[in-house]
Amino acid sequence: MNIPNSSTAPAAGEYAGDEVSAIVLDPGYWTTRAGFAGEDVPKSVCPSFYGQLDSDSGSQQLFGENAIHNPLGNLQVKNPWGSDGIVQDWETATKLWEYAITSRLTGAKPGDPTKNGLNDGTNTNGDAMDVDMDAVENQEKPLEDSPLLVTEPGWNTAKAREKYIEIAMEEWGAPAFYLQKTGVLAAFASGKASGIVIDVGASHTSITPVLDGMVLRKGVQKSTLAGNFVSEQIRLIFKQSQPEIPLTPHYMVKSKTAVDAGASAQATYKTFATQPTDSFRRHEEERVLTEFKESVVEVWGGNGRLSNGANEDIAKQMPGRPFEMPDGWNQVFGVERFRPAEALFDANAAVHDADHPKPKDDQTIPRLVQQAVQHVDADQRPLLLSNIVVTGGSTLLYKFNDRLSNEINNIYPSTRNKLFAPGSVVERKYAAWIGGSILASLGSFHQLWISKKEYEEHGPSIVEKRCR
Amino acid sequence: MPPFKDDQIIIIAPGSETTVAQLGLPESFTPARLRVRSRMFAAEKDGEWEPFKVRRRQPKPAAAADATTSTTTVPPPDATAANGDDDLEYEEDRITEDGAVWPIQDGRIVNWSCFFALITHVYNALNPPFHTPILLIAQPVWTPKEHEKLTQFFFEKFKTPAFSLMDAALATAWAYGIHTSTVIDVGKGKVDVTAISEFIPHTQGRVMSLSGYGGEALTQQLLARLKSKGLNREMCEQLKRSPICEILPPDTPLPGTQEAEQEVVTNPAAAASTGAPGSGPAAAATIGNAPRGPGADTEVGDDTNPEEAEGVLDVASIVAGGKMEEYLAKKDKEKQEKVVAKKKGASEAAAANAAKPVRLPNSKREKAAFLYEDHALLDNLKNMNLGSEKLAEAHAALDEGPQRKGEEAGEGEPATGVETNGTGEATLSNTRNGSIRREIEVGTERFLPSESPMFETIADAVHRTISSVDEVNKRSELWDAIVVCGNGSKVRGFKEALLATIQAKYLISPSSATIFTSEIPSNISTPTGTGANTPQPSSTPHGMPAAPSHVNPLLYAATTAQTQHLMPSSQHGGSPIPNPLQGLSSHNQHSSHGQTPTSIKLVKPPEYFPEWKEVGFDESAFLGAQVAAKVIFVVDQGQNKGYMTRPDYNEQGPQAIHDYAL
Repeated sequence: MNIPNSSTAPAAGEYAGDEVSAIVLDPGYWTTRAGFAGEDVPKSVCPSFYGQLDSDSGSQQLFGENAIHNPLGNLQVKNPWGSDGIVQDWETATKLWEYAITSRLTGAKPGDPTKNGLNDGTNTNGDAMDVDMDAVENQEKPLEDSPLLVTEPGWNTAKAREKYIEIAMEEWGAPAFYLQKTGVLAAFASGKASGIVIDVGASHTSITPVLDGMVLRKGVQKSTLAGNFVSEQIRLIFKQSQPEIPLTPHYMVKSKTAVDAGASAQATYKTFATQPTDSFRRHEEERVLTEFKESVVEVWGGNGRLSNGANEDIAKQMPGRPFEMPDGWNQVFGVERFRPAEALFDANAAVHDADHPKPKDDQTIPRLVQQAVQHVDADQRPLLLSNIVVTGGSTLLYKFNDRLSNEINNIYPSTRNKLFAPGSVVERKYAAWIGGSILASLGSFHQLWISKKEYEEHGPSIVEKRCR
Repeated sequence: MPPFKDDQIIIIAPGSETTVAQLGLPESFTPARLRVRSRMFAAEKDGEWEPFKVRRRQPKPAAAADATTSTTTVPPPDATAANGDDDLEYEEDRITEDGAVWPIQDGRIVNWSCFFALITHVYNALNPPFHTPILLIAQPVWTPKEHEKLTQFFFEKFKTPAFSLMDAALATAWAYGIHTSTVIDVGKGKVDVTAISEFIPHTQGRVMSLSGYGGEALTQQLLARLKSKGLNREMCEQLKRSPICEILPPDTPLPGTQEAEQEVVTNPAAAASTGAPGSGPAAAATIGNAPRGPGADTEVGDDTNPEEAEGVLDVASIVAGGKMEEYLAKKDKEKQEKVVAKKKGASEAAAANAAKPVRLPNSKREKAAFLYEDHALLDNLKNMNLGSEKLAEAHAALDEGPQRKGEEAGEGEPATGVETNGTGEATLSNTRNGSIRREIEVGTERFLPSESPMFETIADAVHRTISSVDEVNKRSELWDAIVVCGNGSKVRGFKEALLATIQAKYLISPSSATIFTSEIPSNISTPTGTGANTPQPSSTPHGMPAAPSHVNPLLYAATTAQTQHLMPSSQHGGSPIPNPLQGLSSHNQHSSHGQTPTSIKLVKPPEYFPEWKEVGFDESAFLGAQVAAKVIFVVDQGQNKGYMTRPDYNEQGPQAIHDYAL
């Protein structure tokens, strides 16, 4: 490192020039995406859920897809994200993200004796092994040779932002770091420097106005009407239907037999010595609901709301879609399949009960867009409205874009509104990661990295100055 | 650079248990010629490795004379590091795995220096000329950084002119020649499930290294069931490989639920030897383990007899305990008795129940025997520093191999089954005749249940993998093309049991069409509720009304499930989004029955590889690698960047492998 002072731009070769193997980390509520900059898809997509095994000797945390679907008696399935869309459990999040990076990208740390499998089995020559491990590579931190670009939600707090850089620098030993908002990156992925990014994820829907690559912070809107909300609506619909629709996750069923539509299921169920925990069951139920969302749920894509005029009658006449539960119960869903997602656009249509009150009208997506646009100068609005980028896994709901387009055209009939929704599912789901991949592989981006030296000089507060 | 030729290509496929490799591609693709157990032994110096265990011994003058009888113990001359000055002599032991280090575990490389030594050993064993490109089969769980490390190793160690990596699951898809498939690779201690569409593996949601399920788990299951009978892990491992171990379909009754018809051979020797006081500590431990009396095994309901207990005695520890002479004498006696009993038994049995068929299929026989190669015993013999003459004697006395072999053939079991399923050392010349073989008889414990958590977990992994494929319309194709490969799936009935489990849990029954029976409009002829007469697309009316208000919606839904293509894709107007990309998203649209799978099938292995057909397609990844090697090295010659050349490496470094690897 031959930087005379911190304000000098790093030399081209400093971070290995264009060969830089930067890692882009895009943590989300449902999955955590990680991969090398310059690639078109994240190589590592891990669930953001983790398992916690509580036993007498303390609790053990299990990460990764394989660990959280195992019906063990005392396995709790948890998520480090808080309900406000900001990481709550930093300690676990760090481990989870590290797992996402090391398991699929860089390889496990050779120094960690619990992970490398050398300590189990029946090898007799323990001495030789120890020496050998030193010889392999004395790597202590997982990211020592990769700069790291992390994405953050648009409403992240200053404290949380400092935490990101602390983890990257202190825990992982990254040589350089940068933090960027998902909204900007999603816009980049669609090739836009300005626009409105509508991101409907699992836990949150966010609307981010982006102007020339900068987020207009005051315009950022978020609400919880997103994928998990739709799942919750489905659960309520199941519960309130007569008779109640049973929701049995796969792990409980041993084998199923075909039954008539609507008839109660006749499956053989598995028995467990200790019943898996509620959180485990809930997470497994979510898998069934995801399948339901993929194959049955449809957003009413016609004119106006579902409750308007004759729309409901039209919907009733449309062919239903059959769905079979893991236990064999099956039914054709007619107009019901339009209901779960309707509340994303029309708060009054939400299915509700005592525990789940109706959402407020200003949380719906059209209202959010409206509020976001209002925070933008009037002369910029047409520019933004002609660059509406749609991203996030929940926008894959059937006919979502038709409806969104209708709603926005109703609010802004006089502007030329244009929706950009990547056609491929991968691009839609991982837009923010892809934007990050593009950004971090740009030659001109090198000067934006916060180097380790700068961090050591200024402390974590440098992130507020450099990453806007 | 001159073009590569078929006979120059090296393919290496490392595995947790066995590493297979080959130099040169034959006219018709054959299974790998070189099979090496994936393990090395620590050498005297730290960080150095030997392919075989080297042990020190005191040379005996008579050793050389006996070369003909004791093939194993006389080391190949080049391998012996004899020290001329003093009496120390080293010998290579080609069979033992005592103290071996296995560098690959659950597909992961856990010990790099050992792994590199293994690869070097494989490379040297192939003895390649210069100008040999190398194709390495990569385990799915290897990370990109590890790929780089391997690339660096191959270029710098072997100075290879060209190198490429190929994903194991992808290689399997190449072998089967199908562009879209779900590959379930059952290894030693792990299972990988990969969804491949259009020859591109889906990295998202791929289940990699699902550890704890695989061949080793099966062995452990056997061990758990047979431990009380005195079998150890190694015995169970060999039992698993033998053709008598089977996974039976759920409803097959276990044989022997009737009265057992086995001849009970009383054997005083057994009791005497187990009860022998004052044996060495090892023998004493054995006595504790082995069942002493005839304890009836109520679980399976067959009668345990002393004979069986004796049959699985830990001979090794007896020998180690210095009781060999005694044991041999008894053994002799027992043998004679056995012969007598056999003769008697044969005539008796024939007379008693002539109805009993002579050649029953394995699943009908209550008991069956397999040959056990007792490495531990051999190890012990060697450790006792016997002269080779004596050793050979003991060897011959203890070995039941050849004699049993004839019998086994008589029983109608393919004797070659042992060989082909064997430990994968067949090419190491003198392994087979070196081991001491004993016959071990096991009862119905050898049948593993198909309803085990293992199959359910694998089935769940398959479901998760396919469900995480983003293109919803690809999923049914993936369910229809399931490939089960890997040596862990070699046990008889494994594939069938796995498929049955997947089908029982996840198949969306076609009788969703039983919605017909719920509200049938009387004027429409309908199929029966069984779904047997589910209407075919041809039977539906042609001009399907766009909004068929007069038709029962249930019926309509069911029929359109199969005639989706007849439906206008967008039924209700709504201003289409002015987006040119919108058209692309059409492949994400629901079909009427959006749920998958409505059918689940295994892929038939290709017919046109006769050599592979013989041994089975469990190692089809290697076949795929042969196909790929032919394509990328010989046919394509690098035009499509199928491999990385040495100049490429020199210019771009190991990172560039990602641009080349398949």
